[in-house]
Formats: sequence, C-alpha cells, structure tokens
Amino acid sequence: MINKTKACGLAIGALLFSATSHGLSASELPEKPAGFGLRPLTMIVPFGAGGGSDQLARSMAKAMEEVAGLNFQVVNKPGGGGTAAIPDFMLSPADGYTVMEHIDNAISAYAKGDIRENPAEDWTPLCMTQITFSQIYIRGDEDRFTDWNSFLAFVKANPGQASMANLGKVGSMELVVMSQLQNALGVKVKQIAFDKPAERYGALIGGHVDVLFEQPGDVRSFLDSGQMKPILTFLDERPEVFADTPTHKEVGADFEALTRFRGFYVKRDVPKDRTEFLAAACKAGFETEGFQAFNEKKFMNLINSYRDTEGSVKLINDAVQTYQAVYKELGIGK
Amino acid sequence: MIEFVNGTLALFGDPTAVMIFGFGLIGGMLFGAIPGVNMLTLGAVLLPFTINMAPNHAVMLFSVIYCAGVFGGAITAILFNIPGAPENAPTCFDGYPMTVQGKSGKAIGAAVSCSAIGGVASAVVMMAATPLIAGWAVRAFGPQEIFALIFFGLAVSASVGAETLWKGWLSVFAGLLIATIGTDPVGGVPRFNGGSVMGFEFSSYYLSAGIHFIPMILGFFAVSEVFVQAMSIAEGKRKRPKASLEFPSLVEFWSVRFTMLRSMVLGFFAGILPGIGATLAAFLGYSQAVRWSKTPERFGKGELAGVVASETANNSATGAAMIPLLALGLPGGALTAMIMGIFQIHGMEPGPLIFINSSDLVWVTFAAMFWANLCIVFLGWLQTKTVVHILNVPFRWLAPGILLLATIGAFALRNLTIDVWVMFLAGAIGFFLRRTGYSAAGIVLGLILGKLGESAFAKSMQLMDYDVFGFFSRPIAAFLLIAALLTVASSIWNEVRGRELQKALID
Repeated sequence: MINKTKACGLAIGALLFSATSHGLSASELPEKPAGFGLRPLTMIVPFGAGGGSDQLARSMAKAMEEVAGLNFQVVNKPGGGGTAAIPDFMLSPADGYTVMEHIDNAISAYAKGDIRENPAEDWTPLCMTQITFSQIYIRGDEDRFTDWNSFLAFVKANPGQASMANLGKVGSMELVVMSQLQNALGVKVKQIAFDKPAERYGALIGGHVDVLFEQPGDVRSFLDSGQMKPILTFLDERPEVFADTPTHKEVGADFEALTRFRGFYVKRDVPKDRTEFLAAACKAGFETEGFQAFNEKKFMNLINSYRDTEGSVKLINDAVQTYQAVYKELGIGK
Repeated sequence: MIEFVNGTLALFGDPTAVMIFGFGLIGGMLFGAIPGVNMLTLGAVLLPFTINMAPNHAVMLFSVIYCAGVFGGAITAILFNIPGAPENAPTCFDGYPMTVQGKSGKAIGAAVSCSAIGGVASAVVMMAATPLIAGWAVRAFGPQEIFALIFFGLAVSASVGAETLWKGWLSVFAGLLIATIGTDPVGGVPRFNGGSVMGFEFSSYYLSAGIHFIPMILGFFAVSEVFVQAMSIAEGKRKRPKASLEFPSLVEFWSVRFTMLRSMVLGFFAGILPGIGATLAAFLGYSQAVRWSKTPERFGKGELAGVVASETANNSATGAAMIPLLALGLPGGALTAMIMGIFQIHGMEPGPLIFINSSDLVWVTFAAMFWANLCIVFLGWLQTKTVVHILNVPFRWLAPGILLLATIGAFALRNLTIDVWVMFLAGAIGFFLRRTGYSAAGIVLGLILGKLGESAFAKSMQLMDYDVFGFFSRPIAAFLLIAALLTVASSIWNEVRGRELQKALID
C-alpha cells in the first residue's frame, strides 16, 4: 500500500515535472551502496531555522527520506553570510553522511577569495533544486511612479535621492546585478544595506526606501496581497506570471543577469557510488509531488529549477567566471 | 469584544483545541527552559505536522508555544544563571543574585507574574488596534529611530553591575569592541578574522561569523559562577542559598509599577519593529529600568525591578510581534516566520486582508495568546513551589549539571564546538572580571546593543547621505538621542560630584 502511494506520488511528480521543465523521465534509483544509509545523515544548513534555505533543506530532506529511505538530521549553522558552517563541513569525514545545503553566496565568496573551497571542485554538487531570478519592487500604493519608466524618470528628476533596500555584502549577487544595471543605463540609485529580510520588506512598506531588490518567491505573500508590485524582471524573457513586467534587456541593459540558486553538496572524496546514489535520491526527491508543490509555492517553477551534478558544475563555473569578470571591472576582490 | 468571546468559545469548546493548547503551553515552557533547545527547535519539529492540522489549531499551537517559550527560560536564568533562551539573558543580571540571597521564590514569582502581565497587556493592545498600530509603527520607526532607541539603551549600560562608573564604561566599550569582530553588517568586510601573532599567520571562518553573545553570557554568568562557588567551598565560606518559596508581596509589585509599565511599552515597540524582537526588548527594558531607578547602583546585585523589567518586556514583545505579522505579513523573527509558513501552507496570506478573509482564525489566535499568558501564572506558581527545591541539592552535584547544561547551550546555538571553547574562555575571564569590579553585564549589553546598533547606524547613514545631523531632523530620533546624551552627562556629573562629596566628608 505504501509502495503504491509512493509510486503514485512519483508518477504525478514526474508528470508535473515534465510539464514544467524539459521532459526528464521519472528517475530510477540505483541500488543503495552496501553499508550506506544505516544511520541518519546530517544535513548542514548554513543559515538560520525558518529561512528560505532552511525550508528548502527540510523539504528536500523529507522528500529524500520518502524516495530513498534515508534519514536526515537537519542542523543549522548560521553566521558570516553562510561561511561559518563551511569549516565544520570540511572537517566531517568524507563518507557521504554529511550533506550541506548552500546557495550562490558560496560561489561569489569563492570568486572573491573570501573562502578557499571551490564549490565545483572541492565539493561535489549533488543537484541544484531551486534556481530563481530577481526583480525590483515598489509599494502597491506608490503614487510617485507606477512602472519602470516612471521610476526611471523619478530617478533622473531627483538625482541621488532614490533609494533601494538591498543586501550590502560587497560583490554579492544583488549588488553585482544592480551595478551592471546602473552602468548600462547610466543612473544611480542609493543602495541601502539591510541584512535581515524582514527589515528590507519593512523598509519598503514603511516608506523608508523607494524600491526593493528581491526574488519573487521571498515576497510572494506581499505580491498576492498587493502590498508590493514588480517593475523590472532580471531575466531574458518575461515569465508568464509576470507578463506585464519588462525585463532588464527590454529596457536597454544588455547583460546576462546572475541568478539565485540553492543546491546540495557532499565533499569531493566521498566514494563515487555514494555520491551517485545521493544525487539520484536528490533527483527523485525533486520530482516528488510534495517537493514540486513546495517549489511552486516559492515561485521556483517559473524557470527550470533543477540541475544534476554535471549541470550544477557548469552553472557554478559559469557563475564564477561572471563574478570574476565583474569584480575585475569593479575593482573588488583578489 | 464579541469577537474575543467567540474566539474563546471556539478555543475551549473544542476538545482537540484544548489539548493542543495544553501541549503548546507545556511544550513551549519546557523547550524554553532547557538550554540548548528552544521554542524554535520545537517549532521546526512540529512544522511538518501542521500540514494535516486544521489551520486555526496550527496557528493557535504556534502562538501558544511562542508565549510560553519566551517565559520558560527565566527559571534556569534565575536558579542557575543560565538563560534558557537569549531573551531571558538580562533576567540573570538580578535574578541569580536574588537566588544567592535566598530570594529565589521572589525572583521566580516576579518573573512569572510579569511575564503574564506583559503578555496579557500586549495581547489586549493587539486585539484592540492591530491594523492601526502596525502601519503607524513601521512608518514612524525607520533605521534612524531604531538606532536612537539602541543608543538610549547603551547610555545607561555603564551603570549596571560595575564598581565605579569608569569601570562600567570600560566594560561596555569592551563589549562594543567584541561586537565589531566578524563580518560588518554593511559591506560584508571581514574584521579581526585573521592576522599574525608572533609570526604565526591565522585566519578563521569562525571569527568572520562573529562572537555570539550566548556563549559569552553562559561563560560570564554560569561558568564563572561555578568557579566562584567552587572557590568559596574550597575556602570553607560557602553558604547554600535558601530555597525560598515566598512570592513577592503586593507592596513589592506596587513599588515596581512604573518599571513594569515602561517595560511593557518598550517591549511592545521592540516586538512590532521587524528584526528587533524579544531579546532586544528584554535588554532595553532592563537598561531603562536602571536609567529611571532611584537606586541604580543596586542593579546587577539582586534588584527585584531588574527581573521585572526584563521579563515584562520580553513577553510584551510576543503579542506585539504578531501585529506586523498579521497586519502587514512581516514576520519579525524566526518563530513568527514559521507562523507565516503555516498560514501559507493552508492557503492564507497574512496581510491587510486577513482580518476580513479569516477573521475567525485571527480571533482564535488572539484568544489563545491571551489565555496562554494567564495560564503562565498558574504554571509558574506550580514551578515556583517545585523547581526551587533543586537548590537543596549539594553544589558539588549541581555544578557538573550546570556546566553540562551550559556546554549544551553553547554548542546547540550554531552546532559549533568552538562556541563551547569561547564559553569556557569567557568563564575564566568572567571570574577575574568579577573580582576586579568590572561588569560582565556591561560587556554583554555592549556586545548585543553594539551589533544591532551598528547595523541600524550604518543604514541610517546611508539613507541620510552620511550626514550625522540628519538624526536631529527626525523628531522621535532627536528626542531619544538628546535624552541619551543628557543621561550620559548627568551620570558623569553625579560620579564626579559624588567623589568630591566623599572627599569632603573624609577631609
């Protein structure tokens, strides 16, 4: 009975999945390597409980428990923008029992020289399970401007006045994208560094800043309630959900916008059969109905959100190159 | 009012709801009381189960856990100098000295009653005016006002627990210095995370993440206290603290009424503003109690008002934190973010429309928080009569238990072993600090207010184009900053004049 429902869930998940991405077939798990998965695995989350990364890790841990019979213990090790957890991950034995969730911060930190470990080489990415794009938001009841063009006019009419709530870390995905946009359009918007998400959203809603830089999944509730609305999408084409919002390319900024991505890693020296098993479990977990529903709720179904190990390595290497090129241009990092 | 009655009836008319209510109350209190786990741990464990629960049950469960969890940590703070959770840290400052003086019953009694009073008061305001207040507070308090509020708190930190004002200020500045270790909140620039000592190069991810105040508190208070007690046992001077069951009298409550009121208001604002929450509420409540006290020198040495200030403020912040969550969809902390998650799982979005679309659910939540806070009084009374007897255990058996709990608490914060070493180092330093008249509480206040204050200051400066006088063009910020500066000036004036008076008397 249990097997039946599982298979059913898998099938529905696969259906859903093939509908949203490029027709991957339902994956079959390789046999569990002998002696592996006998005790619970540790899933390190480098951010605090309750946040986006934490929710993803717990959701994926649940999905992998369901499909591969693995047990996970999720531990949060927040601090230092995701870097505080890395030494513990590096100290753990390379036996596949320690999996770390991490986001593209690790890639920009490596490109900048803040961390020594190359996420594509010193770690093996099992999979990416959330890939998303950024947008610029205004208040729903904003009357000084209502769309990108009127905002641009406002910026030009009030030089040095317009402010944007953003993350502050030098070389972060957020600041890189914004500096590329500002360079391309020749405008200047004050970037105000807010380290906590709630403060950023509060600053926009409370009127302390004019616009907000964020990813749609994180502010979905504000979008649904009409408290915020997007005026610009950083993507090559307009996603259907945001068909009324222009993309950065349409407004005259010709660059490949960096994305936000979250995925799962093990250490490089983990035995190959275990890495492959975990990667397959991640893929099967991604395809479960429960995980698909989770990703849909987070607006992570708007672009293809899945990469396997090979795809992840390419994604990471491309991002490293972009970051390094931009850093050179902006004169930051090593 | 009729909505509140309906909410209460919906809550207690449903046996399942009553069971969940009781479970949340006891669970939250236990998880809050045991260092190392907290209400977030419980929340994260329970979150997946809420998918199959009725939405009003799920939201009610989490709001009850929230109320009870914030109170729970006060007990260990008072009895063993170990705050069960960060928001109970200032309760140690005076709660534990009271235990040493044989007044543990009074301290716990005050903590229980004030938690309940703070919680009920904020629940009432929440019911009366959520949508109004939320919009106003988020607009009126920008980074500038938050900085001014924190600066106001810092201005009085020097008078907590130090021998002289100068030693107090040195302690606070040491705390501010420790707060600068780690990644800065604006540019992400690493500070003091590496260097070379005698030709030995080092760099550390741990230092990039910064020194967290929890291992510092556990070290300064719990570990160093074990050392101090051990020494007095070795010298044959130790007297076991009396396990008193005495509740504070009505007269005592009456004498701290203004402290209570002030903490309610402060806790309320700290709760409403995103990113501040119960921990800062407790610290601000405490420091303002010192500011307005006629006998500030008694704080840190077993002053009832210290316990009252901290516990009223942190529970008052709980009800307030629900206001921006429900009215604007802005969760201020991790637990409120989980509550938001529950709403979303069940297809509802907190925000302006929730009062129209799901008004039943909102009122069940309000009613649950109101009654949960009242139940704290009863449960807390039971605890006072029972838990206090632990003090009768001989210290040589109690000490390993305290060290074990502190170790677990330090480790579980981020699951980092190095936090445990920081705790023991802080314990050793704390031992000497206490013998030389410096203030461990001052260092902790400097550390926590310094981190939050720097972040708010940096944001303010960016917004005001780096013009410091911009603060004075905003009325609320200007008022708070001037009050803080006057406080500093008057405390220095008093110290200097006090010295002269003493001299005159000796001559």
